[in-house]
Formats: sequence, structure tokens, C-alpha cells
Amino acid sequence: MLETLQLMGEGFINALTFVNLLAMAGGVTLGIVIGCLPGLSAAMGVALMLPLTFTMPADTGLIVLGAIYCGAIFGGSISAILIHTPGTPASAATAIEGYQMTLQGKAGKALATACWSSFWGGLLSCISLYFFSPLLAQLALKFMSAEKFWLGIFGLTIIAGVSSKSIVKGLMSGALGLLISTIGLDPIIGTKRFMFGQSFLAEGINTTCALIGLFSMSQAFILAEAEIKKRAKASKFTDKITLSKEEKKMLRPTVIRSWLIGNVIGILPGAGASIACFMGYNNAKQFSKHKEDFGHGAIEGVCGSEAANNAVTGGSLIPMLTLGIPGESVTAVLMGGLVIQGLAPGPELFTKHAAMTYTFFAGFVLVQFFMLAIGTLGCRGFAQISRLSDAILIPCVTVLCFVGSYAIHRNMSDVVVMLIFGVLGYLMRKFDLNTAAVVLALILGPISEKGLRGALRVSGGDIMCLFESPVCWVLIILSIVGIFSPFLMSKFEKKVAGVEVPDEELQ
Amino acid sequence: MKKYLALILALCMVFALCACGAKEEAPAAAPAAPAAPAEEAAAPAEAEAWAPDGPVTMIVSYKAGNGTDVTARILAQYAEKYIGQTIVIENVDGGSGSIGWSQLADSKPDGMTIGFMNLPNFNSSIVKELGTYTTADFTAICNHVTETSLVIVRADDDRFNSIEDLVAYAKENDTVASTNGAQASNHIGAQAFAVSAGFKYIDLPQGNTADELLSLLGGEADWCVAKVADIAGRTDVKVLAAFAPERVAEYPDAPTLAECGYYDQWLGSSRCVVAPAGVTAEMVEFYEQAFKATMEDPEYLEAASEFATDFKTSEETAALIEQQQAFTEGLSEGFWFE
Repeated sequence: MLETLQLMGEGFINALTFVNLLAMAGGVTLGIVIGCLPGLSAAMGVALMLPLTFTMPADTGLIVLGAIYCGAIFGGSISAILIHTPGTPASAATAIEGYQMTLQGKAGKALATACWSSFWGGLLSCISLYFFSPLLAQLALKFMSAEKFWLGIFGLTIIAGVSSKSIVKGLMSGALGLLISTIGLDPIIGTKRFMFGQSFLAEGINTTCALIGLFSMSQAFILAEAEIKKRAKASKFTDKITLSKEEKKMLRPTVIRSWLIGNVIGILPGAGASIACFMGYNNAKQFSKHKEDFGHGAIEGVCGSEAANNAVTGGSLIPMLTLGIPGESVTAVLMGGLVIQGLAPGPELFTKHAAMTYTFFAGFVLVQFFMLAIGTLGCRGFAQISRLSDAILIPCVTVLCFVGSYAIHRNMSDVVVMLIFGVLGYLMRKFDLNTAAVVLALILGPISEKGLRGALRVSGGDIMCLFESPVCWVLIILSIVGIFSPFLMSKFEKKVAGVEVPDEELQ
Repeated sequence: MKKYLALILALCMVFALCACGAKEEAPAAAPAAPAAPAEEAAAPAEAEAWAPDGPVTMIVSYKAGNGTDVTARILAQYAEKYIGQTIVIENVDGGSGSIGWSQLADSKPDGMTIGFMNLPNFNSSIVKELGTYTTADFTAICNHVTETSLVIVRADDDRFNSIEDLVAYAKENDTVASTNGAQASNHIGAQAFAVSAGFKYIDLPQGNTADELLSLLGGEADWCVAKVADIAGRTDVKVLAAFAPERVAEYPDAPTLAECGYYDQWLGSSRCVVAPAGVTAEMVEFYEQAFKATMEDPEYLEAASEFATDFKTSEETAALIEQQQAFTEGLSEGFWFE
């Protein structure tokens, strides 16, 4: 216990170096910019910026990525409030009340609410990060082949969760991802699979290349295909970006409720910030004393949505860091960043690499303060950026995709892989398939395969070995719940009237 | 720390580039170069025959921060004094190391590009046909680090208190040995031990050493083979025997497998410095002397205290590469049970 406290303290000392502080400020700013651009989502933004962190030390690199993540989730609210277009799907619910407030000339207040709620949502979610991660990591030490197999299966049921529109299409995407994950040397006896004499495929398809292609490059194709039109001009606003003491006091219960909702959703794989914001919004409405205000610019609606989506950030890191199971696309990208640094998710992050991990945690806490400061001070500037033309955006994204995939190994073959996945991602989106499911399957496929084949090898082919330990049963039950979660979610979402969930549900 | 190092290296490179551009500045930019080898009594006469005239590229086939990368950077840092040029580490990872080795084999043999070769992973990559190179495409310069393999079990496992206990048990029962990957170094070790002791076992490839140890500690595996550095400072495992002709300094109580009448050769992993085939004898000689001096440098030895520096001459290293190659090929021809 004392040791952990010491590690936590040291984490803050390490995080307070000049380089790390600069990384936080830069990351948050970049994140907000990415977030408030309606064409770019949080996962895309983190994927694009991932290559920048290759040469940084592990803690600084992760802090940058975490900062972009938090910044982007908040940044989405700026365009949601000012131009009624959520910058990321995570701010879809913010647009409902936020834009009404803008129409009433209270844009400043709406932005201040978004910023202040995001700050508290993010900050409170760090508690769970500190508290649950080491516990879960301890548990992960007990995971042997059979448990790893079920862990992978549980993760794969997330695919059902992320495919909000059609489960069949989600499963199709997942199956495609699983197929792609078999490329390379097989993990048990080292047979070459689908390598066609290309030795760069020995370690399988590089996940980072694949996700840059699937998330970013394909988005550039989609943007380039559509007619480039001018975005609605962000309305100038004159009122101050502040909240009064009374307003803060009034919003406090909403923040606490949204934090709990967002945090739990974050930890649960499958559901991400885009679902949390609706749940937070709905909850704020249910408990509000001024229900009649909702739909006409209720400040609590903005708060409920924004606190919830930022509370997801801290929670969603937990399964990724401890079990290597990313629950949604942003954490899948963050996991890529971790692996690039030569770090594997799992218990070692809390023993051998504890110093780095706690520095990252401390950085994540400090990032929230930067978000509050930069968000409040820079709102007016960011509002202008949200109008940036796609004509500028598309070439920028394309260049970053190429540079990024090349930078991984400084090898052109990675660029080719990225482009193939870019085209694949484009086609998948045209057919309403889910690119996030491919990435999840790509990460989870090998975990499951190794677990299943390892367990069967040890037991001599007896399939019952998969049902022996209690941990296995817990994971089996969770998997079953995971499969049915979309039905429950869709029922819930129907209750929330108002803004339609944007197409790129989890991009 | 590494970032600053990289920054300094980058700065050095910029300076070196400037120096190349303006010839008259060259002596000023690298003042340490001629002075340092002069301190070595024997070196200067031969070294003058050939010396690199620009930054030396050193290819590491693994990513930055990997074990090989860390040791390579320490060697490079202290070797600059003796080589008289900046050494630029280039991490070319992927394809289980084969991408980097392919690039090294294809480099111009002008002495300006050298690289690290990891045994027996390098040999495995040839056997698995991951690259188009063979051992003949490289010229050995010297050996840098040697890590000996050990047979280990859980510290609290009462079944096995000696290697004989393990062998006797394994002959009667099916045992599971976790490995760091199919046909990877620790799998090769487990295989060599089991064959020499005459028992069969179930291998459980985990892909990396960290997971291999977790599998052992979690009780899924009964024993495994790991290298000295992998278990440094650990109290939850005990060493039953070492794959070496002589006992390992870190574990003087653990017998060698040869003592017990099993596998009698050294086995483990080696990291050696090689150049693409075609480099002249003078170049090899120059680097061999420079690295030898580096590995005897007290400052280097202090920085390198965490791993086992083991200088071997060019000839010895070449022989080691060939021996490991023959051994690994032998494994692929009927040595494996499957």
C-alpha cells in the first residue's frame, strides 16, 4: 500500500518535468483541434498522431496520446454547441441543448459548462484508473491459456457491442479481422500462414498500420469523395465563458451522476463515449428540477452529456492496460502506442514498468487541468478552426497517414499495408461494415488462438480444460452478457429522442 | 534519458555532416578521434591502415528499447572514442529480425555499415526461410554479449529440487515447458535438454519471455528454459541447471547439464557485431580492435554492469555462428518431435 502511494507520488514528480508538461499542453491543444473538426474523430486523431510519439520516451508518448484523447472528446462539444454538428460522435447529445443555448446567445455559458463538466468527468474518472488497474493487473497474473482464450472471446463479443446498426455486419467485420489476424507465423508451431514469401509479414499485419489505414486513410477517401461544401459559420458570441458559483453548485449532482455512468461504461468493453453521452444526457433530464427547460437550452443537458463522455476516458484505459483488451477504437489505438514503445499490456506495467505507468497516470490527471485551462481560454479560437475546409483537411490527413505508417519501421511495405487497409476501410464503410470491429479482431484473434491451442496442447486435446476454473466461468458469463448488450443498448437509445446518432458510431 | 542521448547523437550527426560539407572543419569537429586510439599502445599502427571517414551506421534488427538495442547503444556510446566517428544506431525491426539482417546483408561492404546479429534467432530465421541471406553473407567482427540458458522451475515447487528430480519425474509423467515462441531460443534449449535426457514433454509457446515466465509461475508449465538476464533478481524461481561447460558465476550452486550427463554444449543467446560479406580484412581488424578496447574500458564496464559482456575475436565469433547454424539446422531435421 505504502509502496503504491510512493509510486503515485513519484509519478507526479516525473510527470511534472518540462518535457511532459509541454507534451500535455501540446496534446490537449491538438486533441481539441481534432475534436472540433467534424471530419475527424478521437480515434482517428490519436491514430494520426501516434507516429509522433515513436521517438519519445514511453511515459511522454503515452501522455501525449492520452492528452489528445481527452482533448478530442471535449473538443467535439465546441462544434456541437456552435454549429450544431458534433465534432465527434461522443458529443452528439451535447448538440441538443448546446445549440439551443447558442441560439439564445448563451454560447459562452454553454462552452464553459462543457469545459467545466469535461474537466470534472475526466478528473473523477482517474480515481478508478488508480484504484482498479492494479487490482485487475493482479488478477491477470492468474490468467493461463484457458482464461486467455475466454478473455479473447469476451473481447470478441465486444464486436457485437460496437456494431450498433447491424449485428450481422458487425460479426462479418469481426470475422474478416480474425482472418487477417492469422497472417504471419502461427504462434504454436511457427508455420507460415498467408505470407506469400513476404518476410515482413512474419509477425503478422502490423496493427498500427492497419488502424491508420482503416480509421484515417479511409476517412480521407470518404471526405475526398463528397462534394466539398462550406461549413456553417460559427456564430459569434459575446457572453463570457464563465459559470457562476450558483450554476456550479446546481450542476454538481449532475456531474457526479454522469461521472458514475461514464466511468462504468468506460470500463465495460463495447460501449464507448458516444453511448455514454446519451446516457448522461438522459440521466440529467430525469433528475432535473427544470425538466421543462430541456429542448430549450438546458445547461444541465450539456453538463450531463459532457461529464459522461469525458468520464469514459479514464475508465476505458483500465481493461486495455491490465488485460490487453481494448474496449473501443480509441483504446485500441492507444494500445498500439504502448506496444510500439516495447511495452506489453498486463501485470508487468504495474511491476517492472510501474514508474512509467504511474507517470502516465499522473500525466492523465494533470491533462485534465490543461484541458480546463486551454479549453476555457481558447474556445473562441477553436470555434474558428471548426470551419476549416475539407480541401485543407484531406491532404493533411493523407500526408500524416503516409508519414505515420512509414515511420513505424521506416519501411515502404508498411505504407503499402496502410494503403490496402485504407481502401478496405473505405469499401467497408460504403457497405456499412464496421472498421473498429476489424481492429479489435486483429488484436484479440491472436490472444484467443494462442490461448485455445495452448490449453488444448496442455490438456492433450480435452476440451473440458476450457471450463475448469471459476475465472473461465466468469468470463463465459460476461461474454454472454456482451453478446446481448446491443439489444439492451438499442432499447435504451430509442428512449432518447432528439439528435440522431451520427453514422460513424465509434470512429 | 534515452531521448537526450538520441538528441546528442543527432546533434553529433549534424556536426559530422557539417564537417563533411566543409573539409577544413573536419579535424575540429572530431578532435577526439586521433587522440583516443593513440592511448592504446597496440592499436594505432594497424588502425591507421583503415578507418571510417564518416558516421558509422549500426543496424539493430529489433526496435528501440529492446534488450539488444539497449546493449548496442551502450556499446556504441563508448566505442565512438575508439572508432573516432559517430555511431548511428538504426533500428530496422520486423519479420522476427529478418528485415534488419536482410538490409545488413544488402548493405555496401565499405565498412561504413555494421550491425548486430542475434544467435540463435538469426539461425532460426535462416532455417525458417524468412530472409534470402545465409551465414556466408556476413563477416564476423566480434562477440558482444553472451547469455547462458538455465533450466528453471518455481521456487516453491517441492517436486523438483534437482535436475535429476525433474528428469525422473518427466520420464514418468507428461510435463509442460513454456517457451518464448515456436523454435525460439528457449524452445531450442528445452528441446536440447529433453532429447539429451531422453524424455518427452509438451511445449507451450508464449511468444515472449515475460509470458513464458508468467505461464511457469501461474502453474500451467512445470519447468522452462530461460536466460540468466531474464530471471536476474527474481526469487520466485529456482535454477536447476545451466547450459554451459562451466558453472555460471551468478548461480554457482546450479550444476551444469554436462556435469549431470545431459546436453554438454553451451547454449544460450549471443549478440555479435557483424559486417556484410565483402569487407576487407583491415576493416574487420579495425573494428575488432576498437570494440575490444571498448569492452575493456572501465567506463564502459561500469555502464554495462547489468549484462554479461563477452568479447570474442572475429575468428571465434565466426566459428560460433557456424556452430549455432549447424545446431539449429540439426534441430529442424528430425530433432523436433512434431
